[in-house]
Amino acid sequence: MSSLPPFWLLVEQHGDELMRYARRLSGDDAEDVLQEALLKALRSYPKLGDGNHLRAWLYRVTTTAAWDHSARRRRRPEVLTDSLPVTTTDPHENDDDFGSLIGQLSPGARAALTLRYVEDLSYESIGTRLGCSPEAARQRVSTAVRSLRKRLT
Amino acid sequence: MKLEPRFLEKVANSAIQEGIADIVYSEFDTPLGRLLVARSDKGVCLIAYPGESQHALLGRLSTSLSPRIVLSQEALAKTQAIIISYLEGHTSSIDIPVDLSLVTSEFGRRVLDNVSLVARGRVTSYGRLAQVCGHPGAARAAGTALGRNPVPIVVPCHRVMPSTGIVGGYGGGSWRKQYLLELEGALPKS
Repeated sequence: MSSLPPFWLLVEQHGDELMRYARRLSGDDAEDVLQEALLKALRSYPKLGDGNHLRAWLYRVTTTAAWDHSARRRRRPEVLTDSLPVTTTDPHENDDDFGSLIGQLSPGARAALTLRYVEDLSYESIGTRLGCSPEAARQRVSTAVRSLRKRLT
Repeated sequence: MKLEPRFLEKVANSAIQEGIADIVYSEFDTPLGRLLVARSDKGVCLIAYPGESQHALLGRLSTSLSPRIVLSQEALAKTQAIIISYLEGHTSSIDIPVDLSLVTSEFGRRVLDNVSLVARGRVTSYGRLAQVCGHPGAARAAGTALGRNPVPIVVPCHRVMPSTGIVGGYGGGSWRKQYLLELEGALPKS
């Protein structure tokens, strides 16, 4: 007997915001990242035990999926072609100043900045989403801000 | 940014292929109204007429069977075609595997197993059904078990009528029972 809500209702309830979050973390790869995150979440869903903090859990899974995706991409050898670099097809991306500003940072730094300055979450909530303590969350945001500042100067 | 149905279908299909979706459901229109149909790897485990909310129905599946539930029109396309074809009168049998995991009582299972043996175009009475199930005199209990049939249409609980000859009650409403009995030739077309 499970007390968890049907998985697909979670997807319908939080899918849109998770896609926005994935886009901030991974840009054009957001769909792949979110698909990986949802499948990963579904795999472990019955083991969760209770239905508390499911939204925060989905954010954590999405963050991890973005990190894993980014790590895989870094490991992948670059294929050299003489074609022009592919540009974004997302019509909203140019509007998203913050997204393009943090686009060059690591997924971890992007997650920390997005949760703090876009989602406007407290360090406690950021800690819950990232699976760390509030103090560690503050540290991550602070480090991300320093990285961003370095890139801008 | 709204999640596109194409993306959701892709996620659902990947989950089904990987074997991590325990229940797959879909909703579609039929002559009997919009049905919610769910299946497990054993067969169709729920067919619901309009009325009960989608949240409540899926919640029941989640609590009783598994919370790993996904929506996929594609995965249920064949089941959908079979049900619609039957309800529109194009085919005379509805050959779909059934999973009665939602039925927990032994008597309830026996009632549904036995009602499945009533042929298309024929009907039986609650008393007769109870008798066949080994509980003569338990007509009311047989009626209750039929009322809890999670897979109406496919498990033909509509083929049971009161001995008075009236159509009698039905979980989906008596007009749906009348429709099915007329479709199957058990009642003259009204």
